[in-house]
Amino acid sequence: MEMKPKQLVTLNINERTYEVPLHPRDLLVDVVRKEVGLTGTKKGCGQGDCGACTVLIDGEPVLSCLTLAIACQGKKITTIEGLADAKGELHPLQQAYVQHGAIQCGYCTPGMILASKALLDRNPRPDTEEIKRALAGNLCRCTGYKRIVEAVEAASETINKEGVK
Amino acid sequence: MFLNNFEYFAPQTPEEALTLLDRFGDKAKVLAGGTDLFLLMKDKLLQPEYMIDINQITGFKGISYEPGQGATIGAATKIVEVERDAIIREKYYVLHQAASELGSVQVRTMATIGGNSCNASPAAETPTPLVALGAKVVLHSLSGKREMPLAEFILGNRKTALKPGELLACFILPEPLPRSAGRYAYIGLREAMEIDAVNMAVYIVLEDDSRTVKDLRLIMGSVAPRPLFSREVSALLTGKEPNPALIEKAAEAASGEASPISDIRGSAEYRHEMVKVLARRLLQETYTAAKEA
Ligand SMILES: Cc1cc2nc3c(=O)[nH]c(=O)nc-3n(C[C@H](O)[C@H](O)[C@H](O)COP(=O)(O)OP(=O)(O)OC[C@H]3O[C@@H](n4cnc5c(N)ncnc54)[C@H](O)[C@@H]3O)c2cc1C
Ligand code: FES
Ligand code: FES
Repeated sequence: MEMKPKQLVTLNINERTYEVPLHPRDLLVDVVRKEVGLTGTKKGCGQGDCGACTVLIDGEPVLSCLTLAIACQGKKITTIEGLADAKGELHPLQQAYVQHGAIQCGYCTPGMILASKALLDRNPRPDTEEIKRALAGNLCRCTGYKRIVEAVEAASETINKEGVK
Repeated sequence: MFLNNFEYFAPQTPEEALTLLDRFGDKAKVLAGGTDLFLLMKDKLLQPEYMIDINQITGFKGISYEPGQGATIGAATKIVEVERDAIIREKYYVLHQAASELGSVQVRTMATIGGNSCNASPAAETPTPLVALGAKVVLHSLSGKREMPLAEFILGNRKTALKPGELLACFILPEPLPRSAGRYAYIGLREAMEIDAVNMAVYIVLEDDSRTVKDLRLIMGSVAPRPLFSREVSALLTGKEPNPALIEKAAEAASGEASPISDIRGSAEYRHEMVKVLARRLLQETYTAAKEA
């Protein structure tokens, strides 16, 4: 099939509007990284197995390596760059990951944190099992999961104490 | 890792989708969650020229329940919605269990219940409990609608009864009978995100005495090209009060009926054993739950 020229599509990413030229076949992970220039979102396996490409769409965690960017028109996309507040203050989850040593190479971290955020937004006081279940689709090859779970527990405490979202 | 080039359509109504499907025939693919489709396309096993995204068709989405009538689940309903739905949890617990076990939360957020059956993988999670519940599917085409049991819709590995130009619109679940219960379990290689080596669902209805089995369906997944209904287990236990000895006999029978293959997720021999383990456990659990229902 002959290649048609790219079409302009409006995407709402981190509460900003972007007009992005794309082909229907373009995957959200590639558009976010290459066209929009937000490289926090990582591409690992490209097959749904590792979770590194996790972003939130309307608050729910999805795999951007298996999502067409064109199908995201009219939806709210949140990437890791959208978590810090306007002043650049890190989200409690980001702070907790840093403080608890839940990051080593950091490749899994954006996806891990967004999956954690989706969990805490639905369930602000998850138990350890619930945290493990919510992160089952995010693989980390360096840190080990114990510190990651601890970081989510700590962030959950902070959020419940301070009422941050 | 790239998808081939295609033209993209996001119809708003079933009629628009069916018209597109009719026009493009086998050059088109239906896109639901994409969690199976895009993997095949990335491997270049499929290269559709037209993509028909059914996610904006509200008529294909959502769960409704009518007391005495049963439930309807739109084909494009996400697995995560099935997992979280209060009625499904209360009335069709066996389906709730299977939906909670599918992939990761990301996959469940994307994947649809219709895609799970249309993809017709022998290891799929939700067809097993749906067949145990006696679910029917409703298929739409430009020439009308037809209905059939899900058990007849899934024909084998990656084969369904869908004809060219047809879409799966919804599943219909019958109202659960009094004194009935269903339970699901699987065995895989790790606790999450694995492909099932064996999965199983049991549905039991008891007589007025709340002890004698009136009707029983044991369905196995991943041990045959499509969900396998164990006739022998039904024959052994119907009209009886299951006890450990009877359940052991039934578990042996189920294992005998299974026709698994050997692959990286387990040898055929291992799978036969696991059928026994799951059948023993699920028959007991479901029977207890039905007595308490
Ligand atoms: C990482 C990962 C883990 C997974 N784990 C599991 C698991 O544990 N258990 C499991 O069962 N599956 C698993 N899967 C497989 C997959 O997620 C499911 O089979 C899912 O339900 C497919 O649904 P979908 O909406 O994504 O289908 P799609 O990929 O969109 O479609 C699948 C096929 O069905 C067709 N189709 C879809 N909907 C319709 C319709 N309404 N009418 C006609 N045709 C239709 C499509 O054209 C396509 O051929 C996993 C997948 C991934 C990527
Ligand atoms: S890159 Fe998307 S899941 Fe691995
Ligand atoms: S920190 Fe390196 S993969 Fe998780």
